[in-house]
Amino acid sequence: MKKMLSNPALWRGVVSIAVFLVLWEIGARSKQWMAPEFFAPFKEFLGAMGFKKDYLPWIGAVPAPSAVLDSWTAVFVDASYWQSWYMSFFRVMSGFIAAMLIGIPFGLSLAMSRVAHGIGFPVFEVLRPIPPLAWVPASIIFWPTQETAIAFITFLGAFYTIVINVLGGARSIDVRYFQAARSMGSSRWDIFRRVILPGTLPSIVVGSAVGMGITWEVVVAAEMISGGGSQIGGTRGGGLGFFIWLSYVGGSYEQIVVGMISIGIAGFVSSELLRWGGRYATPWLKAR
Amino acid sequence: MDAALRLGAADEAIAVLRETTPFGDASEALLARIAGIARRARYAAGARIYSADDAADDIFVVLSGRAEHVFKPEVGAREALRRVTRGGVFGWAGLLLGQTQRLATVTAIEPTEVLRIDTEALVGLLESEPLEGGHVMERFASMIQREFTLPALLAQVRRLSGPLTEEMSSLSLTLYRLSLWLRSPRPYLMLVGFALFLGFWYLAVEVWKLPRFREMPGLTNVVREWLSPSPTYGLSLYIAEYYQHIAMSVWRVAQGFFLATALGVPVGLLLGWSRSFKEYVFPVFETLRPIPILAWVPLAIVMFIATESAVVYLAFLASFFATALNTMLGVESIDESYVRAANCLGADRWQVFRHVIIPGALPFIFTGLQISIGVSWFSLVAAEMVSGQYGLGYVIWTSYVMVRYPTIVIGMVTLGIVGYVTSALVRIAGDYLMEWRVRELALAER
Amino acid sequence: MTRGHIVIEDVVKVYDPQGAAVMAVDHCTLAIEPGEICMIVGPSGCGKTTLLNAVAGFHEITSGRIIMDGEVLCSPEKPRSTPGPDRIVVFQNGALFPWKTNLDNVIFGPVMQGKLARKEAIDKGRAMLADAGLSGVEHNYPGEVSSGMRRRVEIVRALMNDPKALLLDEPYRALDSLTKSVMHEALLEIYYKNKVTIFFITHDLEEAIFLGHRVAIMTTRPCKPKKILNVDIPHPRDYSALTSKRFRELIEETNDAVHEEAWKAFQAGEKEG
Repeated sequence: MKKMLSNPALWRGVVSIAVFLVLWEIGARSKQWMAPEFFAPFKEFLGAMGFKKDYLPWIGAVPAPSAVLDSWTAVFVDASYWQSWYMSFFRVMSGFIAAMLIGIPFGLSLAMSRVAHGIGFPVFEVLRPIPPLAWVPASIIFWPTQETAIAFITFLGAFYTIVINVLGGARSIDVRYFQAARSMGSSRWDIFRRVILPGTLPSIVVGSAVGMGITWEVVVAAEMISGGGSQIGGTRGGGLGFFIWLSYVGGSYEQIVVGMISIGIAGFVSSELLRWGGRYATPWLKAR
Repeated sequence: MDAALRLGAADEAIAVLRETTPFGDASEALLARIAGIARRARYAAGARIYSADDAADDIFVVLSGRAEHVFKPEVGAREALRRVTRGGVFGWAGLLLGQTQRLATVTAIEPTEVLRIDTEALVGLLESEPLEGGHVMERFASMIQREFTLPALLAQVRRLSGPLTEEMSSLSLTLYRLSLWLRSPRPYLMLVGFALFLGFWYLAVEVWKLPRFREMPGLTNVVREWLSPSPTYGLSLYIAEYYQHIAMSVWRVAQGFFLATALGVPVGLLLGWSRSFKEYVFPVFETLRPIPILAWVPLAIVMFIATESAVVYLAFLASFFATALNTMLGVESIDESYVRAANCLGADRWQVFRHVIIPGALPFIFTGLQISIGVSWFSLVAAEMVSGQYGLGYVIWTSYVMVRYPTIVIGMVTLGIVGYVTSALVRIAGDYLMEWRVRELALAER
Repeated sequence: MTRGHIVIEDVVKVYDPQGAAVMAVDHCTLAIEPGEICMIVGPSGCGKTTLLNAVAGFHEITSGRIIMDGEVLCSPEKPRSTPGPDRIVVFQNGALFPWKTNLDNVIFGPVMQGKLARKEAIDKGRAMLADAGLSGVEHNYPGEVSSGMRRRVEIVRALMNDPKALLLDEPYRALDSLTKSVMHEALLEIYYKNKVTIFFITHDLEEAIFLGHRVAIMTTRPCKPKKILNVDIPHPRDYSALTSKRFRELIEETNDAVHEEAWKAFQAGEKEG
């Protein structure tokens, strides 16, 4: 602990975040301190540049950290806020796990068979540039409930990343591992289980971290666009994306920022969980 | 007994050349020319074909029979003894840099018939075929190392001296690769894949009318709509508005992407290069990065007066984080030895930055740029769906709202194509700037 | 030629003094004569690379001094010497810049220092490459040529700067034995033409005795010279020296010392640095 406290890097980080918050606070409050006539020429200048005249561009419109903090303490005790957390987390995890359950075998089969690769990969590559969100309308039409529609989009988001990473991982397995296994008399299934699977695991773990980020993006977007499952529990618990959208529509800008920061934290937590799981699954990497 | 090749025997020569490693995928024309300069020869069982240290004049291709090829020990091959049968190539010592004598002794074990090809004549022939010639030489090199287990230092083939082969332009390399690809099974498998996918879509929606698929726009509907001069729902290849939407989306992505690159690359370089900068800036960076771009939408609408700038801002933001992060990783992954070497050679800090850090990080930077343009499209589409007035995302969403289902698919497909093209442009720019890496990777693939 | 006289005086290197306090170099004193090929032999992880890095300027020393040609490179007052073109390092895994052609790599030093205009540097570079038998690969990228060739280009790159000393950190470690023996002869050929001081680190005793004027055998970590051998086989040498009687005798004299240290390192579980 003492070592951590005496680490200059840590203090610098703290300083910079503090500076950031201070600047934010000042900028947000520019509405107040720019009020007197003293600032009139500056305001004209802003107007001429195409910005709103009453406060500093961009920052001025954003609620101050202090206001955000107030709003957060208020929301902290509201059950629907935590239900939003739960809903979003649930969607992210289920979409992600589905993507792994389907994506990893798919990727591995492409990696193992040249014929499968020749047939499947081009179609995959052609579909990949289509952003998952572009699938939202198609998904809503196709799937029976809104929940499954959102789940599908979430699945798509992570699926592409996972498959790409599995392919990359399989390709980079040193050919000597195969040779060693074969010379020790392994069957094809054995080689799959003991060489290919563990060999691609590190890439899968790395890919999952990126895929997790994408999954969050997709979930939030899907929640905002499709109304966040407003059929479920009315206006409550539509997920964090919906929470943000509601706050916007309801005019509570402070709550928007609360929602944003919450999602950031949620994303970070899920990535850490994943990294921890990855370390558990690939203990040999640590020794490097 | 040597005998000149007769016309009918030329086919047999070409057939066996096809079975060899170095000439295996050469064109018919080249093989015919090689067959034209080849001579046949026959050896009885037990006859000595040549001895080590003899002059290395001809290259041998086995037509039939079996011979024993034994390297002299000084050569250092991993396996000194090798048996060659039909399709085997030996006697290539004359192709190696600095070699004029035989490296091995070869004896026929059974009655053996061979093609003898004069080394210098072959080299001359290959030099006159700039694309294929270099390729054949590379395959010789890899055969010599892999099949004959000769150590790398010795197994260096001569460089062909034709003007084009010295620096094969990227364009001709690409064209050559394309011709190779067309001859492989890959394009046909690809067609099978697409046929399966499109076939299933067609059948599921329009023929079998499967339960959930019934509502979906069918393949024929979409294609008909897309290609129709007067489409039912208003958008097709013939309508100007279609291209306006594309242009709008592309313009927005371009703005966001270029701004993000202009800002993200320098920030990333600094983050990687200067420890104090990183310590100050990275914490804030990493705190803002996990916030999904779309969570910024309401705030962006509030911050920016015009919707247009808000949308570009969102495209920019996503791009920026990806570019800066990858650039930073690129700088950090540069092997320390390069920086140390530059220091030893007298370069100052700025020179090291310019000549080592930037080129060294470039591969990572370009990977980052490809990711960033993908991410940029991702955010743009979402932003357009929520609050746009033109653009492909807007098209997709409004088509849904106005129950114009085929147009949804048109929008999606267009997005895919445009997205792919922009990503490919970035990749091509990268390949152009980093020729050294393209070559390095090409050589590794052999 | 009295250039390249390196004196290592009672140098100590301790890593992480407030923490784990790992001593890598233990009061090492060694003097390298100008124009000499001095070989350092020791087991993996013994600290010999640390010594080279200290001379080159990549690491700080904890105490002692290193002096070259009368100029103090580093001392307790200035614990880290400044890397420079008077002592150029040839790295274990090669450090030719992959993004520059071989010729551009070779002219890098003089051009960066402003010592030569680009055109003159190109002329000199071409001449030196031709001298080393490397004319054909001037315009290739390092990634396109064999590793043996890369090493030779790297040595030419160093010599272009007319250094006082070449510091070689196990440069042939990754090459197979046939390539290695050819590299040795190539190095000696270059040395006979240029007579720079060579400070060469290796774990291969035969390589050391074949190349060096003197061989310093180091103890396992922390390293200090255990035995210094004068190799009295006359220069110029060629590969026939490897089978000469004197060569075998010298190996007999030193093999025990080397083996003893290797065994100690093995038991201590040393990993390569």
